[in-house]
Amino acid sequence: MGDFKQYDEDFYRTGYYIDDQGQGGYICDPNYPPEYQEGEGVCDPSMDAAYTGQVPGLAPGTMEYTAAGDGFEEEPPLLEELGINFDHIWQKTLTVLDPLKPADSSIMNETDLTGPVLFCITLGATLLMAGKSHFGYVYGISAVGCVGMYMLLNLMSMCSVSCGCVASVLGYCLLPMVALSAFAIFYSLQGLLGMFLALLVIGWCSHSASKIFSTTLGLAGQQLLVAYPCALLYGVFALLSVF
Amino acid sequence: MSEGNKNTNTEPWGGFDDNLIQRGGSAVIDMENMDDTSGSSFEDVGEMHQRMKDEEEVTAEAAATEEEGGEDGEFLGMKGIKGQLGRQVADEVWRAGKRQASKAFNLYANIDILRPYFDVEPIQVRNRLIESLIPVRMINFPQKVAGELYGPMMLVFTLVAILLHGMKTSGTVIREGTLMGTAIGTCFGYWLGVSSFIYFLAYLCNAQITMLQMLSLLGYGLFSHCVVLFVTYSVHFHSLFYLLWLVFGGLSTLRMVAVLISRTVGQTPRLILCGTLAALHMLFLLYLHFAYHKIVEGILDTLEGPNVPPIQRVARDLPNAITVLNATGKALAAGADAILTQ
Repeated sequence: MGDFKQYDEDFYRTGYYIDDQGQGGYICDPNYPPEYQEGEGVCDPSMDAAYTGQVPGLAPGTMEYTAAGDGFEEEPPLLEELGINFDHIWQKTLTVLDPLKPADSSIMNETDLTGPVLFCITLGATLLMAGKSHFGYVYGISAVGCVGMYMLLNLMSMCSVSCGCVASVLGYCLLPMVALSAFAIFYSLQGLLGMFLALLVIGWCSHSASKIFSTTLGLAGQQLLVAYPCALLYGVFALLSVF
Repeated sequence: MSEGNKNTNTEPWGGFDDNLIQRGGSAVIDMENMDDTSGSSFEDVGEMHQRMKDEEEVTAEAAATEEEGGEDGEFLGMKGIKGQLGRQVADEVWRAGKRQASKAFNLYANIDILRPYFDVEPIQVRNRLIESLIPVRMINFPQKVAGELYGPMMLVFTLVAILLHGMKTSGTVIREGTLMGTAIGTCFGYWLGVSSFIYFLAYLCNAQITMLQMLSLLGYGLFSHCVVLFVTYSVHFHSLFYLLWLVFGGLSTLRMVAVLISRTVGQTPRLILCGTLAALHMLFLLYLHFAYHKIVEGILDTLEGPNVPPIQRVARDLPNAITVLNATGKALAAGADAILTQ
């Protein structure tokens, strides 16, 4: 229980900044059974507490505030209470979008679903602006895709990974698809240029996602094998945007 | 569970420890996979780990039940004993049921038993994809079949994606169901259903092939389907499709047939098994092409032909009508003049 205080202090300082690369994060060492070193102060990715039953992204330390029963003035801001940190989301987004930057394994430390949900809603909104009301398809394909990738990654890697982390990574790497969908509002993608752009975006998304998965789960020589199912998943999203 | 640990070895040197096989920790005793290429021992580690977890769970639950029973009895005193007894019994029944269900679930739905079949390298997958189109001529001894599920599963999903793409470009409308559901159902249904059927026939014909090998063989055979459909959904020519159907479909069928022949003894069993597989494989490709692509052909024929599409409204031929009216008017006028001048 003493760890909660540490999480609370580190909530905004848990280095998720672009300049802060290379800090010791969660690295899956295939020679180790999945037990994590003490004193790291980072969230165990296979711990489901942050995902099941609680508000996504809520750090355990912030429970202290609500249990205290303080007055209105002493309550923390709503965003902090919900565990939504826009600065972190922005930093993670920038890291993910750069295809040439080496992946930082600490992205798997926090199960942050706020960014991914925001991107899914934005994708649905851009599709709506293009005249297609496909919110249900976006959510359904995301859910089924996350479960499928979760099962595949657990089968392929020695370390276990939680569904929340998989959803988080896949969601962050969806951003180029949102850009493609926004482009489709103004210019139809059903020609040669559209097909080329769609293929480029699919490659970009799946490269980012597979880079993070393979670095973190110790699947160094199998990045292509992880990239291909990601490409299929993002391909289905591209079909939604194009047609 | 602890009674099963009785040492039945009589040899002074200890004898073989058959705990791993007899303790019922797993339903997989796959002695047929002697020529399996995966070669990993994850199954054993997984079984032992699971057994240890089960034993810990049982002892923890037993301890928890004893503690709770003691506390509640003291708290409620004499009045609550009857209700308390009922509650305890219900609780115990619930726990026993949950334990049984979780054991059954861990036994049959544990995806860890599939772990060795996903342990592949990209280069192996690439080689197997290419080899699936190369029939091997040596049929005198059993040919090796990779016991792997990653490649076949990815090929099935690729086929689903290609079908979806084809349905979208041709504007197919599925009235009862969804495009995605139809595509997934068709592809997975073929892979699992035909594999099971051929495995059943192989069992009847006494062929030496396991279910995993059959799934793997048929799955890799879908590579030809993916290639043919991908090309023909982009380039719409019937003659091209028939050519590719014969070449690629034929090559992958020959490959699968050669493997089955090498593992079957006797002319009639070979004929039955290989004939069935060849027919199903080739006909499936025909079905995929024609069932989901017909509409494009119809539209192209209509647009290119000289006939007016029947749905459109055809404008009336006004110049003719006007000519006729004019002629009638002139005739009437002439007639009226004739009458007036008389």
